[in-house]
Amino acid sequence: MSFHWNKLLIIGALVIVFIVPPMVMEIGTAVMNLLIILFIFIILSQSWNLMGGYTGQINLGLAAFFGSGLLVTHYIWKAGIPIYFAVVAGGLSAVVLAGIIGLPTLRLKGAYFAIGTFALAEVCRIVVGNMFARMVKMPGSYAIDYSLIPRYYLGLIVAIIAVAVVYWVTHSKAGLAMVAIRDDEQAAQVTGVNTFKYKVYSLLISSFLAGLAGGVYAFLRLSFHNITAVFSPIWTFEPLMAAIIGGAGTLMGPILGSVFLVVLSEIFALTLGEAHLIIFGLLFILVVLFLPRGLMGGADMARTWMYRMWRVFIKPHKAVM
Amino acid sequence: MEIILQTIANGILVGALYGLVALGLGLLMGAMKFLNIAHGTFIILGGYISFWLFTLWGIDPFLSIPVVIIAMFLIGLVLYRLALSPLLKLPNIGMRIDTSMLVTFGLIWVLDNVMTMLWTPDTRTIMTSYTGETFRFFGTRFSITGLGGVGVAVLVAIALYFILIRTYFGKHIRAATQDAEAASLCGINVHRIYLFSSGIAIALAGVAGVIVISTYSINASGGISWLLIAFVVMILAGEGNINAIIPAGVIFGLLEAGSVLVVGVPYRQAIALLVFIVVLMFKPQGLFAKRE
Repeated sequence: MSFHWNKLLIIGALVIVFIVPPMVMEIGTAVMNLLIILFIFIILSQSWNLMGGYTGQINLGLAAFFGSGLLVTHYIWKAGIPIYFAVVAGGLSAVVLAGIIGLPTLRLKGAYFAIGTFALAEVCRIVVGNMFARMVKMPGSYAIDYSLIPRYYLGLIVAIIAVAVVYWVTHSKAGLAMVAIRDDEQAAQVTGVNTFKYKVYSLLISSFLAGLAGGVYAFLRLSFHNITAVFSPIWTFEPLMAAIIGGAGTLMGPILGSVFLVVLSEIFALTLGEAHLIIFGLLFILVVLFLPRGLMGGADMARTWMYRMWRVFIKPHKAVM
Repeated sequence: MEIILQTIANGILVGALYGLVALGLGLLMGAMKFLNIAHGTFIILGGYISFWLFTLWGIDPFLSIPVVIIAMFLIGLVLYRLALSPLLKLPNIGMRIDTSMLVTFGLIWVLDNVMTMLWTPDTRTIMTSYTGETFRFFGTRFSITGLGGVGVAVLVAIALYFILIRTYFGKHIRAATQDAEAASLCGINVHRIYLFSSGIAIALAGVAGVIVISTYSINASGGISWLLIAFVVMILAGEGNINAIIPAGVIFGLLEAGSVLVVGVPYRQAIALLVFIVVLMFKPQGLFAKRE
């Protein structure tokens, strides 16, 4: 495994920028909330990215893993167990759910996988909606010393873990197998890759990350008026949009996409209201049609283009002189 | 006994509507390999057009169907020109299905919010003089609007059948479905066929929307649940098997109505979806696939 020191340096600088400020100064509640939501989006979109971007299986059931992680974390935390263990338990519960509902659907190919996971996520939403008809909330004692700082750090840590896990997986042999499955499943199988095994790995890791994201959200919000809302397809669709706008199948893409989506929606929601979602939808369509590799691919294209322009217009003059 | 008969009657009434809902999706997927995730949203859009015609001019929903068909047909043409035709350049069918799924997924976002702005997030329905009236037949009750829905579904399915089987246009669609390249070598303008098929598919979604708003109610973000039903029916019928869609819809309707007797109303949809997953896993070619 080769290290890219430049990239590592940038990541280190970013981490410091995110770790230090909340310790030394007071950041407004609104900004803190926004950042935590951003972390959750990064985790979810990385989770989707591993499955959709690297392995090429479009998973429309992410909301079910997110929701189950949230519910389990909520109840384990309520039972008095420290939140850090509760979040891990939430992630594991999502893995179990993926084992139960995901493994059968993984036998399906292409669009059928998407439809199957979508249907199973809806089943989960209906079942949970029937089981928890009342408001799900923490007892009041949890709200007394409510502070955003620990939530912020938990979100940050989990987001870093998510990015690191995706980096580590995709730079391993399993990652190569996953990319091979995405590019041509039949060819991968013929060359001896156990495609089903690696699809299962990808799904389990991805669902674990989604479950952790649910745990962070359970830590952030203490009460849920309508628990079906966390199972609603919107929790699948928005991370999917973030991953694709940023560039599915790249490490930085989903991060970029999440920042783009969360920050812009915050800015536009105040000025444009409903209309900002129309803009996102149009933008998403344009990205899918014209930038198949997302904003990251767009940046690459711009770089090559500039380089070509530089060669055409500037270099010849130098050659003449 | 009576309750079983009533359940079967409900299943058929609902099932015919389910079949109608899936027709457009099945046509687009079967003929062109475009998976239109925004299908449910187009159904809602058709419902809203009918709602407007009813509240602004008092046009009966069943009489508004031709207007809705024309409007949605034009929308379908625009959709194909702007969003779907660029996908034909993609190297293989799998990529076309996946990318069309993503494009129409972005369309959900756009249409949902446009509709919310135009018609507010409130749930809407059309109350005509005969809404809620029932018709008795051997002790079972049929709602008038439900029967109208069955009638429209059957008529539309027959019309589609005749277009596909008995006209040159339909022959061209079938030829392009089998092998687009060979069809275009035979002098068929495949792009034009695709253009009109997209129009027809979206118009079918519009017709379904009219029936949905006159029997049930719609709201701007309710497209997803109808999309899921359309998916299920399309897969039960078998991909590309358009003639089997109405029977598959009736089977799904009966299944859903039957599961009410067994597990109760809250889990109705969950059971139906689980059965769907089982079918998808063990018989992905659909219940009505021809033996080869």
